Amino acid sequence: MEFEQIYATYWQKVYRISLGYVNSPDLAKDLAQETFITIWKQLPNFRNESTIGTWIFRIASNTCLRQIQKDKRMPTSELPLELKEENTETTMESDLEFLYQCISELPEMERIIISLELEDINQKEISKIVGISEGNVRVKIHRIKEKLTQKFKNNEH
Amino acid sequence: MNTNIDFKQIWNKQEATVPEIKELLKKATIYKRKSLIKLLLLNTTMILTSVFIGLIWYYFQPELVSTKLGIVLVILAMMIQLATSNRMLPNLFKSNAETTSKQYLQQLIELQKKQLFQQTTVMSIYFILLSIGLALYMYEYTLRMTLTWALVAYGITTLWIAINWFYFRPKAIKKQNKKMNILLDKFKEMTTQLSED
Repeated sequence: MEFEQIYATYWQKVYRISLGYVNSPDLAKDLAQETFITIWKQLPNFRNESTIGTWIFRIASNTCLRQIQKDKRMPTSELPLELKEENTETTMESDLEFLYQCISELPEMERIIISLELEDINQKEISKIVGISEGNVRVKIHRIKEKLTQKFKNNEH
Repeated sequence: MNTNIDFKQIWNKQEATVPEIKELLKKATIYKRKSLIKLLLLNTTMILTSVFIGLIWYYFQPELVSTKLGIVLVILAMMIQLATSNRMLPNLFKSNAETTSKQYLQQLIELQKKQLFQQTTVMSIYFILLSIGLALYMYEYTLRMTLTWALVAYGITTLWIAINWFYFRPKAIKKQNKKMNILLDKFKEMTTQLSED
């Protein structure tokens, strides 16, 4: 697969997964960009040991996980409010915005897992991306969805 | 409890315009060039330092073996410090983003530990080598001085090294380690998030 083709096919998915992780469009764009730079560098070494999708999503997830290393002094959740708002240039629909907010309140790995799941990546592949058993993925997704549902319920009134 | 909220449907509302690929490739090229420049700069610094000390060796023609040994130790100290602070030891600081998150977190933990080691151990080695090197190097020249001046020269040097060793070194290490430990704990916590419930 050519890099251009990968870029066109996967950019939005990678961006949305990153956005699920950081809940800030600007940061998510940076993370997506960083992911694709890694892909660009590593593509010649890609050896079909996994599917290209799994490979790309592994890089994307790991780029997110590493992000804390650079951003350690200012985790997104602790950004001052006005800064947070400034980052969101595009107006999101309220339920979408609320979904992202709920996801951002989850622990890091849960954020990754649910973002992958919502991106319609099947559980077998998620287990290969994250490195835990399929059963464990299933249980975790179930629990995360329960948590999210609860938050949505509480928000209704 | 109603669990029928269609999160996927909400999630899919998020659309994003794909930025121009040119923009990315431009950044990638800049990145590549930057790391090349960094490598070149590091090497030039090392070579220049060595040449400089080599010139001292050549012009002042040290006679004692202690002076020569001192010069070698000082160069060695600087090289070690430069190499490690620039993460140039090839396999020491490599992480592979193409593995599973679980393995990747493990790598990050190992990496943090190595960095902790580097910051404390290498910094101490650097100071020790530098101090011994300097002391040996000075010996030949202080022989030509009167005793008083020799003592003054050694006194000032020792004082300077002592300030660095007892004040700046622990301070730097403490500051660095604090950051490192926060990250280390965070990565460990993320790993536990992956365990079977």
